[in-house]
Amino acid sequence: MARKKVIIDPITRIEGHLRITCVVEDGKVTEAWNTATLFRGFEIFMKGRDPRDAWHFSSRICGVCPTPHAWNSVRATEEAFGIDKMDDNTRLIRNMMEATQVGYDHILWFYILNAFDFVNVPNALNAKPTLPTLKAVQERVQAVVKSGQLGPFANMYWDHPGYKLPAELDLELTAHYLQSIDAQQAANDAAAFMGGKFPMIMNYAPGGITQLPSLDEILYYQGRMREVKDFIDNVMVPDLLAIAPYYIDLAQTGKGVGNYLTWGLLDEESQDPYDRLFPRGAIFDGKLQVEKVDPDETRMYTKYSWFGDDVGGGKHPLDVGQEPIEFTKLDPLDNEGPVEGKYDWTQAVRYGKDDRPMEVGPLAQMLVAYVSGREDTKKVVDDTLAAIGAAGKPEVLMSDLGRIAARVLKAKVNADNALRWADELLANIGAGKTKVFESRPVPSTGEGKGGWDAPRGALCHYMRIKDGKIDTYAAVPPSNWNLSPRDDKGVRGPVEEALVGQSVIDPDKPLEILRVVHSFDP
Amino acid sequence: MSTDGISIFPRLTRREFLKYCGTLAALIGAGDAAIPDIAAALEKLAKRPAVVWSLFQECLGCSVSLLQSRTPDVANLILRQISLEYHEAVMAAAGDQAHKHFEDMVERGDFYYVVEGAIATKIPEAITMHGISAMEHAKETYKKAKATIAIGSCATFGGIQAAAPNPTGAKGLTAFLREDAGVANPVVVNISRCPGNAEDMLAALTYILVHGKPPELDAVGRPVFLYGHLIHDECERRGHFDAGEFVEVFGDDASRDRWCFYKVGCKGPQTFAPCPKTRWNGHLSWCVHNGPCIGCAEPEFWDKLTPFYERAQNVQVPGIGGISTTRIGMALGAATAVGLGAHLIGQAATGRLGKGGPPEPEEAPRGGRS
Repeated sequence: MARKKVIIDPITRIEGHLRITCVVEDGKVTEAWNTATLFRGFEIFMKGRDPRDAWHFSSRICGVCPTPHAWNSVRATEEAFGIDKMDDNTRLIRNMMEATQVGYDHILWFYILNAFDFVNVPNALNAKPTLPTLKAVQERVQAVVKSGQLGPFANMYWDHPGYKLPAELDLELTAHYLQSIDAQQAANDAAAFMGGKFPMIMNYAPGGITQLPSLDEILYYQGRMREVKDFIDNVMVPDLLAIAPYYIDLAQTGKGVGNYLTWGLLDEESQDPYDRLFPRGAIFDGKLQVEKVDPDETRMYTKYSWFGDDVGGGKHPLDVGQEPIEFTKLDPLDNEGPVEGKYDWTQAVRYGKDDRPMEVGPLAQMLVAYVSGREDTKKVVDDTLAAIGAAGKPEVLMSDLGRIAARVLKAKVNADNALRWADELLANIGAGKTKVFESRPVPSTGEGKGGWDAPRGALCHYMRIKDGKIDTYAAVPPSNWNLSPRDDKGVRGPVEEALVGQSVIDPDKPLEILRVVHSFDP
Repeated sequence: MSTDGISIFPRLTRREFLKYCGTLAALIGAGDAAIPDIAAALEKLAKRPAVVWSLFQECLGCSVSLLQSRTPDVANLILRQISLEYHEAVMAAAGDQAHKHFEDMVERGDFYYVVEGAIATKIPEAITMHGISAMEHAKETYKKAKATIAIGSCATFGGIQAAAPNPTGAKGLTAFLREDAGVANPVVVNISRCPGNAEDMLAALTYILVHGKPPELDAVGRPVFLYGHLIHDECERRGHFDAGEFVEVFGDDASRDRWCFYKVGCKGPQTFAPCPKTRWNGHLSWCVHNGPCIGCAEPEFWDKLTPFYERAQNVQVPGIGGISTTRIGMALGAATAVGLGAHLIGQAATGRLGKGGPPEPEEAPRGGRS
């Protein structure tokens, strides 16, 4: 039996640092491990600080998605300060900021991070374009290739038989790759004019928003987000539908653990997490019914992580921390045996009494919204299923292709609603409602949590205050869920599980493995 | 007129090329008179300058900031102006193929090195790529590079992971090279702030390409042409500060009128950076347009300038005595350079400061809201 161990390190086109290790036997992955190769220690250095500063610190967990980290952090702080509900303008402004984040992030992922797994850039030179704009792009690619300085396109396995698109589509998608840079800038500009800059916005504060946005800022926001919506409607969704038929096999692969979790995001007026644009909920064992979920049912395990075993043990995130650190060893690249012992900087996260590994991300968000009966999500999902010949079969989304589609369709639902939040804010201001901040003193003790998804999936921050300072802070980001290592019982995490069974044509050019991993936007 | 002869700028007309040189001249703070020199220097380059970009202990915020660049725009930058040979978040190749390309590039040596993220020195394996720690990675790559730029507060000064108690022993590139890699006088151009501003980085790179040497640096390694001014001195809200018009609580009427954030914690009076001038996201906005500055351009701001919502110490507030903000700012830069706490210098200078900063005016002298 042909057996080969494949280590991909670094996994590129992601945020963070990741190694994927697989055993490939007779052309199929039979075992898989994911290893985060970066550790910073947020929960250690946030201890003892002024609780109001928490959101500035925790936004730096992710420079790609700082805004949902900021939301989680200010809400955790506000809850600990006794502010149970945001004023309505704060809700809307935070929704507007979040909508820019979702828009930019999903565009960035679809084109800049993920596209090279499916779009063969050198093959674009074989196209015979008639449109002058496409000709110009082709000439640009030609010039880069001729210069011999391939830059970002260097040394990729472009000869892999897994690339299926005709040259014309490769060229068109390459052109859209360049166009997507402007589209993501449009979303971030909308955030920056109201928020100071992006990444790392400045207009949040525990208690609300620093200042009421000016009319200029709100109108500018709407203008830029309209551009984002146009790009998603007229470029990104059509691109998804154009490439899907060539990669329809991916609807059969990468199913994963079959459990999906979202804390929800984008509040309606009730601020009820089950009433959000993307509502809170979970789906278990691939059954299309939604269960209620509680962020306090999150459990941490560290038998396979580089922390002391008693750091985990199924405890609540606030009772865990990140000490003691117990780095053992990183598997040498030439070790042909299995990965043994501790192998990850990520702690294993599980849900509920039966310790379920949960997939998080746009697929989870869209499935829960679909089953919960959110009309806008139902419509785009049903239309898309019909377009790919799978009408009435939302379960086909539970796959690699489904993850890609869910991200694109969520971007559409999000962009459609961004303008609505802004209209509601304008209506509030017009009606004389201008409150954006609630001032509270730092309490001597308190506890609070967030629970609002990042673009990549379920995100929750937890805070405990003692003597007016941060006693414990915990952030459980989506990569903790998706890139969980094995838990104490040896159960694989979602990405590991999705990899097992994947066929690989050439283990030296593991394009299929990259596709599964990237489909999670790790 | 075509510039086919300029091999590094394929398909750029002469007019476009000179326009680009004009943009660069503005970026590096030179006037239009410098355009011919810049054009001549760039025309001499046989190929697009290769850039190797390392990601260490980071959040990718600086790279996302690069993606927001407008002058030049990103597509032109990557396809026409530089050759971004290694950048893990952008490149198509992964794993062995990516690492092989990295090794080939470093071996060849003809590249500029950009570092984003801090280097873990206490637990080197807190950051590895291809099984190689950032310590090893940075040491070898720095030696081979034509010039090195650190972008963002992490690569320059250690950044957030270096906040006390700095669990991984995170350091900025210069400190790492000097203290752990045996490089006596490291030459690194520091582009601080959180995130780093890509246009600042490109300005520094352009300066190096044109002049063949790094620009003049301040005491903490930042280009003087970018970081020579105190935010407070160029702030759009400065008039309100001088008039004693302050936001007292976020969301108040004063905040709607965009008065000064000093009393709610703005660190503009302690921070040297070009933020008010160059701004962010296509020169559209900047932090103080919408919230108080947290001082992210300064070394160790996570420890020295926190709590963020407490007002900055040692600032002369209109209506009371004290020392000028510019002098305090200078003291801060100098203090961090020699490893002293800035507030100690400030306190020594005034000899009159209590724990909570200077005494407040009982009521704002002019136009203050109650």
